[in-house]
Amino acid sequence: MLARTAADLYWMGRYLERTEQTARLLRHQLSGLPDTPADELALGWRCIYRTLGQIAPDAPLDADEAEVFLVADAYTLAGTLIEDHTNQDSLISCWRMARENATQLRPQLPLDVWTTLNQGYLWLAECDFPRAWSAGPTGLASEAIGRLRLLAGVVESSMARDDAWRFLELGRFVERLQHQTTLLSNWERVGRRGTQGIQLQWADLLRVCAAYELYCRRHTMTVRGREAMHFMLHDPEAPRSLCFVVRSLEALLTGIDPLASRHPLAPPHRMVLRLAATLAAGAGAPLETDETEGGTDRAEGELLRRLAADGAALHDLIIYAYVAYPITKGLPR
Amino acid sequence: MEPLEGGVRAGSGAFADYRLEGRFFDELFGADGSPRPACRRLGEALGRVPPEELARIQESVHRRFLHEGITFTVLGKDEVSEQIIPIDCVPRIVTPGEWQEVEGGIRQRMRAINLFLRDIYHEGRSLRDGVVPAELVLGCPQYRVEMRDVRVPHDVYVAVGGTDVVRTDRGFAVLEDNMRVPSGVSYMLACRAATKRALPELYREHRVREVSEYPERLYSTLASLGSGDGGPRVAILTPGRYNSAYYEHAFLAGEMGVDLVEGRDLVMHDATVYARMADGLRRIDVIYRRIDDDYTDPVAFRENSVLGAAGLFHAYRAGNVVLANAPGTGVADDKSVYAFMPDIIRYFLHEEPILANVETHLCRDPDGLAFTLDNLPDLVVKEVGGSGGYGMLVGPESTAQERSAFAERLRADPGNFISQPVLPLSRAACFVDGGVQPRHVDLRPFTLHGSRGQHVVPGGLCRVALSKGSLVVNSSQGGGCKDLWVLAA
Repeated sequence: MLARTAADLYWMGRYLERTEQTARLLRHQLSGLPDTPADELALGWRCIYRTLGQIAPDAPLDADEAEVFLVADAYTLAGTLIEDHTNQDSLISCWRMARENATQLRPQLPLDVWTTLNQGYLWLAECDFPRAWSAGPTGLASEAIGRLRLLAGVVESSMARDDAWRFLELGRFVERLQHQTTLLSNWERVGRRGTQGIQLQWADLLRVCAAYELYCRRHTMTVRGREAMHFMLHDPEAPRSLCFVVRSLEALLTGIDPLASRHPLAPPHRMVLRLAATLAAGAGAPLETDETEGGTDRAEGELLRRLAADGAALHDLIIYAYVAYPITKGLPR
Repeated sequence: MEPLEGGVRAGSGAFADYRLEGRFFDELFGADGSPRPACRRLGEALGRVPPEELARIQESVHRRFLHEGITFTVLGKDEVSEQIIPIDCVPRIVTPGEWQEVEGGIRQRMRAINLFLRDIYHEGRSLRDGVVPAELVLGCPQYRVEMRDVRVPHDVYVAVGGTDVVRTDRGFAVLEDNMRVPSGVSYMLACRAATKRALPELYREHRVREVSEYPERLYSTLASLGSGDGGPRVAILTPGRYNSAYYEHAFLAGEMGVDLVEGRDLVMHDATVYARMADGLRRIDVIYRRIDDDYTDPVAFRENSVLGAAGLFHAYRAGNVVLANAPGTGVADDKSVYAFMPDIIRYFLHEEPILANVETHLCRDPDGLAFTLDNLPDLVVKEVGGSGGYGMLVGPESTAQERSAFAERLRADPGNFISQPVLPLSRAACFVDGGVQPRHVDLRPFTLHGSRGQHVVPGGLCRVALSKGSLVVNSSQGGGCKDLWVLAA
């Protein structure tokens, strides 16, 4: 496979994952509009914007962040993340970028994949945001998630499990690794800094991550912060847990570079093994009660920081190993 | 669509808006207003189906194009836009006898062009013998001195050709040769797929010759020109996704299962071409280039090109890679050289041309220039190296001011222009404005020429001028396309 093609697939996977993550956060946040207290909503917006690396629209640079989200209206905050073409991380921008990558990948993609992606983009591009908002704020995010899930299903059912699929999934999981690390970190740090005891609910985090039902089966319906964090870090079967993500990355990189074909291991593969080891080391720590959170906070915060740094480095290593390698290293022996 | 029992006639019933005009050959109806024999079933079906049903069929083929992203790219002044190529759901029918003439003419022309190109880059007999003025060929911007005495594999200069064929009241004629990077074959295949799906019964009843094997034929043709351990490795070289035909490049690469490379993907080492793969560099043996000569190699040609690959032509000259089509084939596209094509056929093949040329006046000749200037309102004036409907003047559709400005350009650089009469292009039935009406069409069949001979695809891109009365069929100028059904004998 061409190196540029691998890069396009990788980026397509990243953009699609980013689109879905944004839509999931928005769907949860917007579903709370009718009955959630204003300060809790503001806290939610703050967490979302931080996680997506965004600042509130029209906010002065020196403004107090908490205050900004308290006075901002949901329509503007959601619109910026959904339909703002000037925002590179909005749903429409990410979907467009995924489609642009896919445009260059048509020889590699089954027609069904391209068509489903294209139809989704055309739907969003032609969507009348004010009208959709009037019909129900969550409708648009829900529809977007549905279309993205449909696309994921079409990919699942129609793509051969070759390197094209692997690079697409690689992008998806690298994005998920970075996003989940940031989300967990922000939910912990931003989410419980509300005034007057207001804080983000861990059950909501699990719902955003499509992990609530599994958590309930593993534990109880009463979600405890420490357990939820541990679950999202170490559960091997929840698709958005970091353990699951890292294992998926390892399997994908093993497929791209079978162990027998390269020695020593390719740098991205080594980095993923390090991520797995880091996670495994953190998994053994005993679960503390909420009363002793201060101690585990530091441990998990440090773990998340290391995972975030290694996740960012992983991206660079992938690009260097498969796309932008020096020509002298690529010549046939 | 169910066929209609009983007769249909132009100008009545469902064809009330279908007015025949004697000066235009009609592809559906004969001069007496009844369907041509081969088109009887199509005419009956169109007459029977309610307009709402035709509209639904039209919408279904349009939506198919939209969802599958069958597009062409238009470069505007400030932006790049992606447009769906308009498709008309009503097929155009060509009888076996008509196709025999077209195919024979194209085969003959392609053979002659390859011999001509070999000659002008080697012995130059045809230039010495005055078949074509030497200064016309050697002064042609598409003539590549770099190609002199270069050994071209199997002497196949043009491996993929497209020939624009029109039908007038006098029969078929060749309007243009496209021997550099002819495009449109993907739209031909997309039209067929969409029409076959929309009109399955009608399609089955007609015993239409298949075109779907084109990608396989193309691959075989390209592979036959190269060599390499385990079979030659073929790639398509594209200028990138902003090229107007990028959809086609991607489509063909996907269908053939070959890499779609850009110049930045290629690496030259020891006069050998490699593609930068995810797992290292891999040699490329045959490149189907969809990029003009000028841009293929900044070292050999246009030095500021960022689309090609430096050193590619050097590898080509060294015989380490095949370029299809060969650099320098654009001479055969030149509209001045076109005027000499009948003589070229006679000279190299000792045969009379099967397909006629369109009457052409060379403005480089004082008489031709004078004639053109005197008759501008009645002529079509084209740049000799132009394509896509750009840079031309359609006399009857122009204003006095436009003609005056064009006359200035003609006088300033007469050698850059030719003129032709406005052709009474034939008309075919189209579904427009809620009914069936005639619109002007042309036809671009595609020819493949490999080491083992020629193949003319039994079909082609049928372009249609969808605006009433318009004669400009180019997609970049508002034209669309429709399926062409070549019937089996």
